[in-house]
Amino acid sequence: STISKAESSYIQVGLCSDPALRPDGRALTDFRAVSLETGTAPLANGSARLSIGRNPHDGSGGTEVLAATKLEVETIEDGGEDKGRVVCTVTCSPAAYPQLSNNALEDLQHDLTTIVHTTLSHPSLHPENLKIIPGKKSWLLNLDLVILSDAGNVYDALFMAARAALYDTKVPRTRFVEYKAKKRGPAGGAGEGMDVDDTATEGTSGFDTRQRKHAMDFELLDYWDEGEPLDGRQRWPLCVTLNLVPGAHFLDATLVEEAVAAVRVLVIYAFEAPHVPVVQGMRMLGPGEVTSSQLKTLLKDAEAHARNIFAGLDAKLKEEDVRRNQKASESFEQR
Amino acid sequence: MGSRIEILNEAGFRSDGRRQYELRDLTIDLSRHGEADGSALISHGLTQVLVSVHGPREAKMRSHTFHDRANINVEVVVASFSTGERRKRMRGDKRVLEFASTIKSTFEPVVKTSLYPRSQIDIYVQVLQQDGSTLQACINATTLALINAGIPMNDFVCAVTGGVHSTSPMLDLSTLEENDIPHVTVAVMPKTKKVVLVTMETRLHVERFEEILNLARDAGKILHQEMKEAVLSRASSLVAMGEPITKGQKADDDVIMD
Repeated sequence: STISKAESSYIQVGLCSDPALRPDGRALTDFRAVSLETGTAPLANGSARLSIGRNPHDGSGGTEVLAATKLEVETIEDGGEDKGRVVCTVTCSPAAYPQLSNNALEDLQHDLTTIVHTTLSHPSLHPENLKIIPGKKSWLLNLDLVILSDAGNVYDALFMAARAALYDTKVPRTRFVEYKAKKRGPAGGAGEGMDVDDTATEGTSGFDTRQRKHAMDFELLDYWDEGEPLDGRQRWPLCVTLNLVPGAHFLDATLVEEAVAAVRVLVIYAFEAPHVPVVQGMRMLGPGEVTSSQLKTLLKDAEAHARNIFAGLDAKLKEEDVRRNQKASESFEQR
Repeated sequence: MGSRIEILNEAGFRSDGRRQYELRDLTIDLSRHGEADGSALISHGLTQVLVSVHGPREAKMRSHTFHDRANINVEVVVASFSTGERRKRMRGDKRVLEFASTIKSTFEPVVKTSLYPRSQIDIYVQVLQQDGSTLQACINATTLALINAGIPMNDFVCAVTGGVHSTSPMLDLSTLEENDIPHVTVAVMPKTKKVVLVTMETRLHVERFEEILNLARDAGKILHQEMKEAVLSRASSLVAMGEPITKGQKADDDVIMD
């Protein structure tokens, strides 16, 4: 958003002063209230709805992101890969950016999609259980994020919602189904007038003694079972946006605060084990500059912030798990 | 899946347990969404649609304005995960554009656009979940969002889908029913009893058509009652928020600090 020089200077002076003052009274590293609900799209394999800074009384304002994962079966001929694929897309609802033209909206969508997709589809984060039949079929995981409203800090919201939806995703269990041609013989009733698929024996010579698997298809183990959780659900990264003003950095900026920050540094952290932080990605947005020594301290700060966000989000995700699975089965048993 | 699913069984129940003329669970949420002037989140059963209205405001493109009335601009975004099968809809998708233009032509005669010359009213429709009767949900949500935004209209616009299974008419169809039986979407203005929209893409015998049209008009009146109730309760809660609190009286969100 565009703000006047007077307002920009007013906010900047407040941020650089000691103690730092923000327009809504928060500390520099305070987040607005984050609310999360999983399982909001029952037709999807995993879904989440996350909002930052939504007014609890009338539900207005705030940054709101919907995330949903859908699994599709993909054949190798159609561009699939043995180990499966992860594709992320971000859509901006025109209601979230009412002042942008359609072209500007497409550009913004493209930028956001690129950042999210290149980070989350990286091989280091690839889940193990997206295989179905090696060489033939695999799962394509489509992660769709929709921004319903934007009140600042949209990158953090996108990655949090993505992590929540991926954490919630269940992959259906499959098994191979082998088709073998029936042997023709005088006793076999199938011999007369019935076409038996001979492709299984085509192209093999009598000297070929290899055991060839004829797994052509797969089936679901249980139609009603949602499946097993997506592998690597602890690994999905989170983004910390550090907004920089001379001498300080602050988190979770509102739209006006984002306009004041000369440069924003996005650091995307993953925690494979509780004490092993991995930087999965980093971006700099804005016309400002950062020195390399500044960057070093910023990375350390971002790691500390990321740990806090992880802890909070994980606690909520576990709570949601309990609410949806345990409590649901408990109430079912009580009937 | 083993057994065949019956659209309407002998006992008069539909595939989801409803009766023939029974409408699905209707939930209306008129709380403000984002920075919109008016918004409404409506769900008919599992079909969920969110509509935000911005305006009347200055038009983004001067060339799209009219000298004597407001321009209504409708944009529809269908979430890829809204249906059972993921289908990515591009912005310029013909189906989606047709949808948007249907909504626009439904509301153009209803909204009092002559009160706001040279301005624009933007209606952003976001389809979150689809389980049949999407157009019905979009029109109902748009009506509520426009009312919530305080934009003057001639009347409510209430839409409902009607279908006929051999000779039995049914209302408010789910995806299963929409795929199977001919259906029509009818939008009415309940007070003036005028029909604003009739759209059908399947084939229906002309004798059945009149029957289903009348039924849909009656259903529109029922929806009108629900919608009016939702608007009134929203208005009264807004009024209650604005009332001064007497000293010492504690409201829900107050914290007593010593």
